[in-house]
Amino acid sequence: MVVVYPLVSSFYYSFTDWNGFGEQYNFIGFDNFERMKTDRLFRNAIENTILWTVAAVVVPTSIGLLIALALHERGILARLYKSLFYLPICLSLVVIGQVWIWIYQPGFGLINIMLEKVGLSQYTRAFLADPDTALQSVIAAWSWQQIALAMVIFLAGLTSVPKELTEAAEIDGAGYWRTVRHVVVPLLRPASVVVIALSVINSLKSFDILYMMTRGGPFHSSDNLAMMMYNESFQKYRMGYGSAVAVVLFMITLVVIIVYFRQQRGLEQLYD
Amino acid sequence: MTEATHSISMKASAADATAHRVPLSARLKTLALYVLLTVLLILYSLPSLGVVLTSLKSNAEIGREGIWNMPDTASLQNFRDAWETGNAGKYLANSLKVTLPATAISIVFGVLTGYTLAKLPFRGSESLFIFLVAGLFIPPQVVMIPLFRMFNRAGLYDTLWPLIIVHIGFGIPICTLVMKNFFATIPTAIREAAIIDGANELRVLLRVMLPLSLPSLAVLATLQFTWIWNDFLWPVIFTRSDDVRTVMFGLASLRGQYSVAYGTQSAMAVYASIPTLLIFIFFQKYFIRGLTLGSVKG
Repeated sequence: MVVVYPLVSSFYYSFTDWNGFGEQYNFIGFDNFERMKTDRLFRNAIENTILWTVAAVVVPTSIGLLIALALHERGILARLYKSLFYLPICLSLVVIGQVWIWIYQPGFGLINIMLEKVGLSQYTRAFLADPDTALQSVIAAWSWQQIALAMVIFLAGLTSVPKELTEAAEIDGAGYWRTVRHVVVPLLRPASVVVIALSVINSLKSFDILYMMTRGGPFHSSDNLAMMMYNESFQKYRMGYGSAVAVVLFMITLVVIIVYFRQQRGLEQLYD
Repeated sequence: MTEATHSISMKASAADATAHRVPLSARLKTLALYVLLTVLLILYSLPSLGVVLTSLKSNAEIGREGIWNMPDTASLQNFRDAWETGNAGKYLANSLKVTLPATAISIVFGVLTGYTLAKLPFRGSESLFIFLVAGLFIPPQVVMIPLFRMFNRAGLYDTLWPLIIVHIGFGIPICTLVMKNFFATIPTAIREAAIIDGANELRVLLRVMLPLSLPSLAVLATLQFTWIWNDFLWPVIFTRSDDVRTVMFGLASLRGQYSVAYGTQSAMAVYASIPTLLIFIFFQKYFIRGLTLGSVKG
């Protein structure tokens, strides 16, 4: 009810020029979608969304896996470390966004202070106010939390990797990294599928942290589709066009869902 | 001859030495790993530490020395300010008014649908389940405009009602998924025995199934509470006035209002994080299990 009816309506509105007020609007066919083709902001938002998605596939997965490997089966101290690494998961993206603003601040931001200290002051800048770095900075802050999530799932996956297998591989003379690459990582495939699906879906939805840190700025340089949809609908009151952006976002999500379910089914057959 | 024995004893002592060295080098490796992990952990915890440290500093000190150093003297003044002038109490109450009912009701729905799908399958129940699970993935932006219109027409804009309703709706898929998977592990024979003894379906659910499913309920309660509490998108869309502001929205708008009052802001951030932190500390086991179980929602 809360999901299905609005989903259908979104498709409907995407063919209209509704402004968000009143009841009058015109049915304008595919005009909204035609308009996207030449809309610079839309192309920019698509490119940024893709960049975010790629980062979502690579960053949390790799770093999360490395930390999980380092912490897996290491005794009591590791358990404490795990909890501390988990911590960002329970924080709100609003809080995370706020503190990362302070990290990127031009004057007293942590990164700029560190750059000064190690003599790289030519690289100091207002990371969030610079169109060249704004989006990447937000993605980095977002990844900080996603890494923790990936780590949780990988650690759970690692408990199902039989110890005999890794020991056997090491006895056979495969070094640690070769064991990881050829034994552990293939066995972690179910966990990896979940991690990747989760981060990609989260990246497509991401709005809170972007709103908090840049609102898509400066000059829309860090807009993603979710932010553009919000801007068009609730700032410029072009609900029809906003709905069309939402439909595009839905289509991309649908592709991800289908790929995910295919993978899942493939895995089930593999394990049956 | 003597040379030969000499070389043999050399070999033996070399082997001896490696035998001793293996555990030593392994220990060194572990040590190195921990050093590395500690450095990483400190770097990783810096953002969280930054908020806490800043919340303990006076605004004068922040102005003088920035926020990335230890406070000279710890004071709770920021927490008092955030409470008295920053309306932290009101915002926290609003968040609770949304989070508690939405968490509870979505779990009730999840129990009912999950039980039905697991134990009383009907034609099409499998497709219904897949359909529900797919709901986990829908980006909220896709349904935002029609919901906005719907609640506007119903006169609920700028109240807490849309937030509660939307969180129930978006919570049902994950609750159903977790509960269905759990009920599927309980032998059907238990249900049948109870039915033969004269219990009706509701009694079976309440008296037999629910007591068994307490861990799953705990998993869902911790997850749902955390997600709903931390949400920011829906309050931005559905509320405007200060009286119905949730704590996350309050925190975000504080940034615009007094952009230099870092102390108050970080105190507010600490307030906003305390409930989920407490849940995390006390129910970590359930929380983590939930993340790895249902694990397709952000």
